[in-house]
Amino acid sequence: MGIDVFEFTVNLIKMIIIFLMMVQIVPLLVWVERRGSAYIQNRFGPNRVGPLGLMQLLADAVKFLTKEEFIPKRGYPFLFYVAPVVAMIPAALAFGALPLSMPINVEAFDMFGAHWGPYVFKFQSYEIGIGIVFVLGISSLAAFSMLLAGFGSNNKYALYGALRASAQTISYELAMGLAIVGVILLFNTFSFLEIVNAQSAPLNFMAFGHKVEWGFLPNWGIFYQPLGAVILFAAMFAETNRLPFDLPEAEGELVAGYHTEYAGFKFNMFFIGEYGHMLVASGLMVIFYFGGHTLWPWFTPETAPKIMGPIAEKLAAVFSLNVNTWTSVLAALLLHVVLLVKIVFFLWIFIWVRWTLPRFRYDQLMDLGWRKMLPWALFNTVLTAIAILVMRYPWGT
Amino acid sequence: MWEAIGFYSLAIFLIFFGYQTITVPNPIHSALYLVLTMIGISAAFFNLGAQFIAGVQMIVYAGAVMVLFVMVLMLFDLKSELRSFSRGLFSGGIKVMSAALLAGLAIGAANSSVAIMETADDAVKEVDVTRQLGILLYTKYLYAFEALGVLLLVVAVGVVAVSRMKGGTHAQH
Repeated sequence: MGIDVFEFTVNLIKMIIIFLMMVQIVPLLVWVERRGSAYIQNRFGPNRVGPLGLMQLLADAVKFLTKEEFIPKRGYPFLFYVAPVVAMIPAALAFGALPLSMPINVEAFDMFGAHWGPYVFKFQSYEIGIGIVFVLGISSLAAFSMLLAGFGSNNKYALYGALRASAQTISYELAMGLAIVGVILLFNTFSFLEIVNAQSAPLNFMAFGHKVEWGFLPNWGIFYQPLGAVILFAAMFAETNRLPFDLPEAEGELVAGYHTEYAGFKFNMFFIGEYGHMLVASGLMVIFYFGGHTLWPWFTPETAPKIMGPIAEKLAAVFSLNVNTWTSVLAALLLHVVLLVKIVFFLWIFIWVRWTLPRFRYDQLMDLGWRKMLPWALFNTVLTAIAILVMRYPWGT
Repeated sequence: MWEAIGFYSLAIFLIFFGYQTITVPNPIHSALYLVLTMIGISAAFFNLGAQFIAGVQMIVYAGAVMVLFVMVLMLFDLKSELRSFSRGLFSGGIKVMSAALLAGLAIGAANSSVAIMETADDAVKEVDVTRQLGILLYTKYLYAFEALGVLLLVVAVGVVAVSRMKGGTHAQH
């Protein structure tokens, strides 16, 4: 966590803020989802409570908190209570492992009569050496919340819904993992930050011993892994249980699935988990294929301090803090905004697709997952491996 | 010191979950305790610096194998399972034998173990663990690695064959 009290405190606050970021984006996404669906379907949507219907979120929260608490009589109360909590944990932990901007360098300073040494704060809750494997492992635990909910309710429809949902989740996890293998092969690392930094450069690759550089394109993963990106994005829809893969919670046709017996805030926690997964999925897409928090050639870890330098000098004159520290903080915030814009774009695609495509039938869903996406993901992995071996082989030396 | 505290608290939790796995009468609860054990083992690997193994443990065992386990268990008629496995001479005998085996394993491990949390002299750097593991798997242990792959393939083919036999779930008429 840290070598002294200051670093410890900052890291703790940072973790809480990043968790709150994930939780607080949920009401906003719900609002965008309802207003966006209304826009797509040429309706009004919730526009009565507050300006643009924004206060609807608060009204919903009050409604969730004041609903009657209901526990199925013959269920398993402990499992019934635990399931919504388990639904939130994987998304929160996975989101904490994503780098949201460049690291902040804090120079040495004096405070409370003591000397505090230079620090480097990563713009993420925690950095784990095997970032990608960790995120995959943690998000694979999400299936348990559905199983626990379905079993704890002791209700036939909830149990069927839970089985349906978890079967779908683990089926698409394979295609998702294999699509990510292509990225790992390409960038030769498990670390998110290294992947992002490798993408803040002009498009360059080795072709038969010659270095080729195309300066008009950034070095984004999407140009090397278009098939992997499509497979990953489609699998993400299935993992987050959203249309066209929302069989786990098809309210109209199949009862509500695993959360049939849930109401009020417990139901809301399932929703927070689902939207958290959407956030993680968008973050992974941006980090793997669209340059993460960088946008070469304008916003990179090299240019951001130069852009924010003049503002940092003015701020340093007003507030007594080191210029370099201010520059680092502002540059990290600038890159964070770049990342957020990209993530919001992908979140909008999630919502857009929901109101555009119809739902799959269950056999079509399984067919797509096992017979189409899995072989294509395997093909992508093998092709990437062969291409990397041939291209990076030291020809002529 | 913090590492030792982490290790011992994790070990206590792991032993408790493992004990619950074999003593809880309800098969689903038992499987769920096994899930917690798997996650705990993953954390233990992480604590030892084997980050890649920890991640794979979580993906494969906790994420995939145990989900299938729990799914299959949910389709059983739990009441008859409860009756047949919770009491009785046979099940009691198995429990006693398991406890004896566990005790033997624990004593053996304690006897033959060196100091806890001691790293090898030529310990590889954290970042390089995965690379070293891959190189070892594809050079020194290539035969064992491939043999395990073949074993899994045989199991998969065998399952398909069994399910398609007369009386199986996917029998062809």
